[in-house]
Amino acid sequence: MFVPVRRTEFCFSKRLWAVYQGLKQGDIPDLPGQRVPPGNLTCLLGYGVKAFELAGARRAVPDELQQFGRFRSPLTSGGGPLLLGSGQVYADDVRKNPATEILAVQFVADTQFAVNRAVVETWKLLQDQSRSQEGGVLSVAGFFQGFQRDDHRSWIDFHDGTSNLPSDQRQGVIVVKGMPAGNDQWTVGGTYMVYLRTPVDLPAWRRLSRSQQELQVGRDKLSGCPLIPSGAGTTPATGCPAMGTVGVNEPGNESFFEPEDVPRPSLLGMSHVQRVNQHITPPDDRNSLRIFRQGYEFLEQSESVPGFRAGLNFVSFQDSPERLFRIMTQPGWLGRTNFGGDPDQPLPGMSRLLTTRAAGVYLIPPVVGTEIFPGSSVFMPRPRGGSAPTSSSTRSRSSRASRRRS
Amino acid sequence: MQYDVPGRADTVSAQILSAWNDAIQQQYQRLAPDFGTRFFTIDPQAIQNPTPTNAVKWFGDPAEPVSCIDREYARLLSDWGIRGRQQLHNEYAEYRVVQAQDSATGRLRNKRVQITTELREFWVCVAKTEPDTVRAMAQAILGFAPSWQDLYGVADPTTLTPAQREVAFSRLVAGHGNDNALASQGVPAQPTGPLNTDNALFMTHPINGLDDLLYIVMFGAKPYARRVNNQLQPATRNQIFRAFGVEHLACRHADPAAAMGAHAQVYNGRTIAFANPLGVYIAGFARDVFSYQNQPLPDGWVRFSRGQQGMSQRLEFGPPDSHAAFLDDIQVEIAGVSHSVSGGYQVIQHMEVGPVVLLGPPSQVGAQEYEVLNTSSDPIACGEADVCDSIRALKDEYDASHPLVRTGPRRMGRRG
Repeated sequence: MFVPVRRTEFCFSKRLWAVYQGLKQGDIPDLPGQRVPPGNLTCLLGYGVKAFELAGARRAVPDELQQFGRFRSPLTSGGGPLLLGSGQVYADDVRKNPATEILAVQFVADTQFAVNRAVVETWKLLQDQSRSQEGGVLSVAGFFQGFQRDDHRSWIDFHDGTSNLPSDQRQGVIVVKGMPAGNDQWTVGGTYMVYLRTPVDLPAWRRLSRSQQELQVGRDKLSGCPLIPSGAGTTPATGCPAMGTVGVNEPGNESFFEPEDVPRPSLLGMSHVQRVNQHITPPDDRNSLRIFRQGYEFLEQSESVPGFRAGLNFVSFQDSPERLFRIMTQPGWLGRTNFGGDPDQPLPGMSRLLTTRAAGVYLIPPVVGTEIFPGSSVFMPRPRGGSAPTSSSTRSRSSRASRRRS
Repeated sequence: MQYDVPGRADTVSAQILSAWNDAIQQQYQRLAPDFGTRFFTIDPQAIQNPTPTNAVKWFGDPAEPVSCIDREYARLLSDWGIRGRQQLHNEYAEYRVVQAQDSATGRLRNKRVQITTELREFWVCVAKTEPDTVRAMAQAILGFAPSWQDLYGVADPTTLTPAQREVAFSRLVAGHGNDNALASQGVPAQPTGPLNTDNALFMTHPINGLDDLLYIVMFGAKPYARRVNNQLQPATRNQIFRAFGVEHLACRHADPAAAMGAHAQVYNGRTIAFANPLGVYIAGFARDVFSYQNQPLPDGWVRFSRGQQGMSQRLEFGPPDSHAAFLDDIQVEIAGVSHSVSGGYQVIQHMEVGPVVLLGPPSQVGAQEYEVLNTSSDPIACGEADVCDSIRALKDEYDASHPLVRTGPRRMGRRG
């Protein structure tokens, strides 16, 4: 959910944050004393570049956000590249990027309803506020919904997220590290979230043969096993899937989560899985370009054929957005490439397999006990007392991967 | 087995090839007693069915000044002429910006960036063995034949012995490369002549050498482990670098990538080797993030050289002399925002470099082969590394020589 701030004096309501804390317990402001199932709701508050440009902002924009906090705007006629050097493009009918607001709130819960309720309860409070003497401080600019599939596949039918970061490596990748004393010290322990709303062109994808699809992805379509070169062609990695299993996500196949390096240049070497994770270690070093991905599929109605839009809410967390920007622009990674394959000779439709409808970068501040809400010191003087950041926010997030979001 | 010359960039005599292989062997033999294992071989032909890995590469922009100060000073200091190069360019990639006169104003302006990943040791081998060949190599890069005086400090290098030529060339063009024998003969760490200071012929930072490249890969090529719940797991970077008292190396791009890239493979029982030819190569460059007048850069403005396909060791970036444009007429787009290219840092930021490493098949690692570490995995405080003292001192000097002045009614800028 993206929230523009209309007035700078008090940019995020203490009451709104209190509502979210109540929702996590099942407390609804309009139903005092009536506790409802909370659905394991969690809330994450992110600050975009614009938050620090407000007249009342008391913090300078953090260096990482200043340098890596924006995507290109769509062309006024619609569409256009997301970044110079990247193969990602806006959808032709997108003329405004709706994910550039000042604040973003991510709700994750076990049920879609718990997430929907959080959106509506947000609106309720903001409406009440607009009727009060304070007037309208915040408004909801829009929200995007999604869900997680229980088959660990994506709309293109292939396994997705198989080689995502193991839990013991996440904190090293996503948490903003210590830095020399300076204005940005307060961000240590936080993280940066990048959000992309990316519909997939399923008609184009389904026009490819299975073997063409597999070469684009780098995995066997059915088992999810990584492909390796075999003569002039490819074959699933030897021993995958393990005896008695049919898919890479079943126990016994852990050693096949990470595809082996494939020599380049070759079509398999230019596949998606070979591009996005090149096994550079250690993951906590920015040089590795490892990120922690949270993917949530979506399906929405559309005026154009086939009457719906299916795609992915791409959410990544990293200690610096630079990691993702480099993945998106560096040749050999996803530079010039929309998804996978040879950018100089793309298969039909593959240079626009994924399009973008929204793209944003947000700082998720650390949880600091003395703040009214995470990052409140961006707008208000910090109360006296300790300001040591904790990493509780980032730790808890790692257990949310199997829930719904909006 | 004999290594070819780096990048197979030059056709050389058998004597030079032999000298180059001797240099590699000497460095390996020096390191082998402390760092030799069955998981690293200096002979790539000793590995059956080898596969190259993409995993040993890193970005060329200096990491240390970012950890010690911030990104902005990393750029300013790295771009601070020869001082920035000689102090900060330690990621196996060095650059020099060449200038030209703007006929419209008479001012000198940045014209092109020369980036090199060439190993100093190879050039020294050539220089001490065949002066004509090293002069031809330099001429091919510079566009003119350098004088013997600039190469060796004498009118006729054939009157010198090979050992004398090594000292003379190192003093003027190559620096001592942390070679104690050269240092004891008065060769300074960095060259004093103009050929490789006004230009970037090859790398001269002492830490960008063949010995360090071999060291860091061999250092990582052991199955270091840690105990977690009584099970062995791969040791972390911080544990490994801390265990051997080299935490400072963990704060660069190159060393963790090389050492941990090796470690990740040998932990699975693979043997690794440098592919032939041994060198540091440009593994990727994002030329598409640059533009000139809202168009992709003309082909001639991004010129790779000093290596066959996939093994370039040199990039010359910017308009040729025949074109009226200057470096800052080129735009680089970072995260949707365009900036004029002010120096080499913005260019090298988009370049990946590294050696080509070969992997053997996995094998069983014996229980006695694991080296179990008990050191802490806690983060290494790169902002407090000793090197930060010298980097902050460089910043102070930079600030003093580039005072902030008012450059417009509401704008401050640096003079100098």
